[in-house]
Amino acid sequence: MEKLTDIKREKGKVGFVDKSVWITLLILLVLPFLISKPLATEILIYGLFALAFNLLLGHTGVLSFGHAAYFGVGAYAGGMALRYFHVSVWTSLVVAMVVTALVAAGIGALAIKKKGVYFAMISLAFAQMFYFMALSPFRKWTGGEDGLKFIPILKLEFPFPVDLTSALPLYYFTFFVVGLAIIALWRILDSPFGRVLKAIRENEVRTRATGYNVNRAKFLSLVISGSFSGLAGALFTIYLGYGSLMTLFWMTSGSILMMTLLGGMHTFIGPVVGVGVFMYLQNTISVYTDRWQLFVGALFVALVLFFPDGLVGTIKMKYRERKSRA
Amino acid sequence: MFDLSWEIVAMQMIFGLALGCVYVLMAGGLSIIFGLLDVVNFAHGTFYMLGAYAIFVAVSLCGNFWLGLVSAVVIVALIGGVIEWLLLKPLYKRDPLYPLLLTFGVSICIPDIIKICFGLIGKVVPYPSGLMGAFMWGPVMIPKYRLFIIVLTLVVLITLWLFLNKSNLGMIIRASTRDSMMTQVLGINVSRIWTVGFMIGIGLAALAGAVAAPMVASIPDMGVEMTIECFVVVVIGGLGSLGGAIIGGLLIGQVISFVALFAPSWSNVAIFMVMAIILIIRPRGLFGEEGRL
Repeated sequence: MEKLTDIKREKGKVGFVDKSVWITLLILLVLPFLISKPLATEILIYGLFALAFNLLLGHTGVLSFGHAAYFGVGAYAGGMALRYFHVSVWTSLVVAMVVTALVAAGIGALAIKKKGVYFAMISLAFAQMFYFMALSPFRKWTGGEDGLKFIPILKLEFPFPVDLTSALPLYYFTFFVVGLAIIALWRILDSPFGRVLKAIRENEVRTRATGYNVNRAKFLSLVISGSFSGLAGALFTIYLGYGSLMTLFWMTSGSILMMTLLGGMHTFIGPVVGVGVFMYLQNTISVYTDRWQLFVGALFVALVLFFPDGLVGTIKMKYRERKSRA
Repeated sequence: MFDLSWEIVAMQMIFGLALGCVYVLMAGGLSIIFGLLDVVNFAHGTFYMLGAYAIFVAVSLCGNFWLGLVSAVVIVALIGGVIEWLLLKPLYKRDPLYPLLLTFGVSICIPDIIKICFGLIGKVVPYPSGLMGAFMWGPVMIPKYRLFIIVLTLVVLITLWLFLNKSNLGMIIRASTRDSMMTQVLGINVSRIWTVGFMIGIGLAALAGAVAAPMVASIPDMGVEMTIECFVVVVIGGLGSLGGAIIGGLLIGQVISFVALFAPSWSNVAIFMVMAIILIIRPRGLFGEEGRL
């Protein structure tokens, strides 16, 4: 399948980052004035998580069913650094990224060579292991099912004092970090390394035959994806003010997968759109019924059957069809 | 540390064996489906849950455990067949990840339907009258129902082996597991065979759920954890191998049972550690074919 971004790139039209990235950032900039601020912040955080997840799924062609592991480990690593070592908020983000990169490297070393479905199963199992670890053996440090509480009051000192307990400053702090991360992810995908990942997605055997070290590229993709997911997790802890055990739950892996597919895994910005639509729907449906999973699950089944390219992917395809006909 | 007598160890082993048998039935079904259809059934635990609810309904309607057991397996297998025919069939032409995603969607939906029908409170199926309590074998106490599960699993496995190796249909199933295109060329409706194979796999999951129902309170969300544990079993045993499912299931049963005895807070974590160790020392699983995965 030809990707629009690839074609444009060859014509030399793409600069620092794609136009769609700027548009998305612009929309995110005004988002807290359109919907409630907590929801907007969650969309930002999950948007970054989905983009990081999609680096592996959509751009490398590797399905991880256990990305909750990285999100959750990031959430706990950041939270524990804040709680037990009293580091600054910025440091906690770095700690979270480093720790999750190590976790991803561990899981990658054990499993990245496995074929598709097998890797999916193993990653899910490891995510569940972290969930249970936080739940009982390490509850003394993680707080078990209550989550990681007693995190000191969050504020920024550097470069200027910001109070992260009020909604709007928190949103723009998150926006700043997520924005930088989105640009970083775009640059990674636009690099020669990103090209290798896409080649692996399209045809792994041929990429290997061309002389690229496929397993190393997949491993690196997993580590980068995990590390940015961990960053999202740490932001989530800062947003909540405590570390939530739900970040490690299997449903978190499932949700991020559904959101990514909903937006369109073969586009760069699609996952963010998927997150926005999914969370807005979830917020709306759960007002009327507790059984929103039924709707979400049915929607997902329909998506897999009829629109595997997701919202953005399908729209792009229709747009291109019309353009080529005209 | 408490005094550890060998009677306790023996009893724990029997508990572990019975638990392991439930995993064997589950993983066996998963392996048959994967071997035949190349589909990793994420909804496997969901059908386990459906099996438990089906026997609950059947037993409360007719009052007979055995009738309930049989009808639970049949009904859930039929539901599985309908899902395969309706939802999975269109996806076989696509990447093998799509069936996995679809069954994931199914595993999200169905528990909510059960919640709407039965509520959130756990449902308990009474033990069949003849199998309550325990008997003493020397100094060792053996709970009758656990022994029944072990015997039943043995019978099911032998029947399955005979069916796959001695019957005509079993031969066709093995042939299309090996090479479905060749089987198709020989004039066999492989698509129908796949539906049958899927139903057998689902039937095993439903059986596992139905026999487990008296020991646990069935709740709508019991499925996914079972799916994940089942994945661990097949990763340890080697995906697509029935022998691997048996050894993996029994091993995991013992691990859970004994870690629960010595270090209860680690009991949920231990099986994943065993999986990690297996992945280090024997990446393809104990019985996995070289190069397949």
